[in-house]
Formats: sequence, structure tokens, C-alpha cells
Amino acid sequence: MRLPKTRELFAVTAATSALLMTVACGSDSEPTTDDPTTTSAAPSTDTSDTGEASGDYADGTYEGSGSYANPGGVSEVDVTITLADGKVSDVEVEPGASGTSLQYQQKFISGIADEVVGKSLDEISVSKVSGSSLTSQGFNQALEQIKADAQA
Amino acid sequence: MTAAWAFDAIGTRWQIDTAHPLAPQIRDRISAEIERFDRTWSRFRPDSVVSRMAERPGTYVLEHADVLFGFYDDLVEATNGAVNPLVGQALSELGYDATYSLIQSGRPASVPEWAVLERSGDTVTTREPVSVDVGAAGKGLLVDLVASVLCDGGKHTATIDAGGDMYHCGTTPIQVALEHPADATRAIGVVTLEPEDALCGSATNRRAWGDGLHHVLDARTGRPTADVVATWVLVPQSCMIADGLATAHFFAPPEALLEVFHHEFVRVHADGTVTWSPDLPGEVFR
Repeated sequence: MRLPKTRELFAVTAATSALLMTVACGSDSEPTTDDPTTTSAAPSTDTSDTGEASGDYADGTYEGSGSYANPGGVSEVDVTITLADGKVSDVEVEPGASGTSLQYQQKFISGIADEVVGKSLDEISVSKVSGSSLTSQGFNQALEQIKADAQA
Repeated sequence: MTAAWAFDAIGTRWQIDTAHPLAPQIRDRISAEIERFDRTWSRFRPDSVVSRMAERPGTYVLEHADVLFGFYDDLVEATNGAVNPLVGQALSELGYDATYSLIQSGRPASVPEWAVLERSGDTVTTREPVSVDVGAAGKGLLVDLVASVLCDGGKHTATIDAGGDMYHCGTTPIQVALEHPADATRAIGVVTLEPEDALCGSATNRRAWGDGLHHVLDARTGRPTADVVATWVLVPQSCMIADGLATAHFFAPPEALLEVFHHEFVRVHADGTVTWSPDLPGEVFR
């Protein structure tokens, strides 16, 4: 019971970061030298024979870095995406270790959760919901971009 | 709650939940309160006071400016000027959607210092045309004004929700889910709103990410990265303060804000981590 839940939550985390990454990737027109803003595909290990893939994309592990914009500035992430049978089978997101968020004085914070952990709204009893959703559009754009790289 | 009154005003969706349907005269009072506020503070109607301030310098009376700008004084200071009601003009010049307001970085040349406004109570004098945008806390203040009509010192039960800015009054607490920033079907936690508590949430995805955005952010060179994608702030008795702090948490470390304002917070960071205040009346699901 524990294991599937953990995997599910990890996926949620990855989706969150990738979504935001694409905000900058899609709109940044002036990348600076130390600020990678485009996702570059670089097949590394695990690459299998392209010809045997059922989809149009070369299977393998693709790494890319991206920057994303948030109201506090620009942050960077390293993204690793694994394609298997022409589909994205795994997404890993490594956040850049920068910014004030990593410099909290712990005495002001009682809790830190390593990942955005969620429960289905069906599971909890509430009167109201506060917040709004990211659309899936950004994440889908990220996938399209990596797929395009994998096709090249 | 058995009655809900929903309507659109000041560019957002409102819902007011009450034990019994609101009498027409109460609805009229609320509508009038909102209209009055809009006529003063809306940047999107040419006849508003702030629109006239943007046209020409002079002396203007802005109802509630004493309270609102007094709070902004603290907010500007606590965020080192990152939250500044005068940033609107610079953002407009950049083609940036005005609904994403009150961020400032690296002080773009056309953003005046907050202190440029000469104030006395609700009277404000400007020596140049100034674009005032109270988006960070104005909606919260309006919720407070509506709450003062509805709650009547705790005699009535009501929950006012203006696009995520909430005020609850009555005799019993309510549970509010904190929506997952990336999945509307999930919650990252739940908080309890006691009577007379206000809760405001803010998320980057709420903003309109126009084409000009990255230019705004490019101007932030040298500013620390906050890495925050969503915030919630709970404040007793003031939706205005909760609203302003929900924005401020994008720009300032929590310790700086906790020193100045009594509040509880939840922050979701871009890497998926979540942090929250020691006495948060609720739970963040781990």
C-alpha cells in the first residue's frame, strides 16, 4: 500500500516542477550564457535500438536543463526523461539549489515536507477549497518539446 | 450552510455562504459596498479615482486609503520594496497583464518609490501621474468590508469567498482544503478556519503569464530567488493582511514576515517541497 502511493506522489512532484519550467522555456527569447533556458536532448545510457521502438521517438534517457520563472525570480531545474516504447516512462526533476528558500531559519518553520503530498478531495471532508490549479497545458508542452528532441 | 449567493465582481468570482438566504436589502448593501470600492480603486474603469490619479497629479480622496496604505507601508518595508503598489505603470509599459500586480525587482526605472505619495488619512497628493495598483491587498480589504456587513459582530454565520480570499464568521469553525497547485482534484492539506479568521491563497498559476513576463523577471537581476509557487496565509480578523501576506510570501523569507505580522502560512516551493508555520491550525499531508 505504501509503495504505490509514494510513486504516485513523486509523479505529482515532477509534474509540478516541469510545468513551471516550461513557462520560461516557451517564452524566453534571450537566454544568457549561464542560464540555460532551452531543453536540450542528449541520449545517454539505456538507449535501445531506435528501429525497434513502437513510437516515432528514440527510446532512451534524455537529460535537459531548464529555467522557469516564478514571481520571486528565475530558478533552474535539471530534468531527466526516460522514453520507452516511444512514451515517457519516467520523469525526474532535480531542482537547482539556490535561492532564499534554502536558507530558512528552521526555528520559524515547524514542518517541511520533501514533496508536495496530496490527498484526493474525495478523501477529506471540507467546506471549501482554496487555491487554483495549474493547467496541464504547460506540462504537455514540455512533453511535446522533448518528444520533438527525441525525434531529431 | 444552506444558502449560497454567487456573483462576479471586481474581476473575480464571489460566493457567499450563509445559513439562510440573504434578504434583498442585505444583498443591495453588499453590492453597493463593492461598487463603491470599485469606483475608487479599480484600474480598469476610467472613472475610478486611481484612473484619474494615473492621468494627472493632484489631491485625491481614496476611501480606505488610510487603512490600506498604512498596511502597505509595512508590506513594502517587510519585502524590501518587492511589493509596491506603484509598480503597475511599469508593468503596463512592459505589456504585462495588470491582473498580475505588485511585484517589483531591481526597481525598474519607471517605478516610483512608494514614498512619493503624500498622505493624510484618506487624502493622497501626487506631484506626478501615478498608477496605483492595490491588487495585493485590496481584494482582501473589500472582503473585510463585506464581512462587516454580513457578520455583524459574530451574530451571523457567513463564509465569504472572493476568488480564494476568504473570511469566515459565525459560531463554528470550517475546514478548508488547500488545493494542490498542479491538480485540482487533490489537496495538499487542510486548515481550520475559526470564526473571524481570514484565509488567502496565491499561486503563480493564478497570474496571467503574458509574453512580457520574462522581461519583468529579467529585470530582477540581483534579487534572491524565492522559489515559491503557491502560498496560503491565515490571519485572524483581517482578510486584507492575509491577502497582502499571501503575495509577500513570494518575495520575502518567512522569518522576516513573521516578525512583522502575526499569521500562519503554508508555502509550496518550485521543487515540490512544502513549508508551514509552527502553529498552523491544520495539517499538511506528508
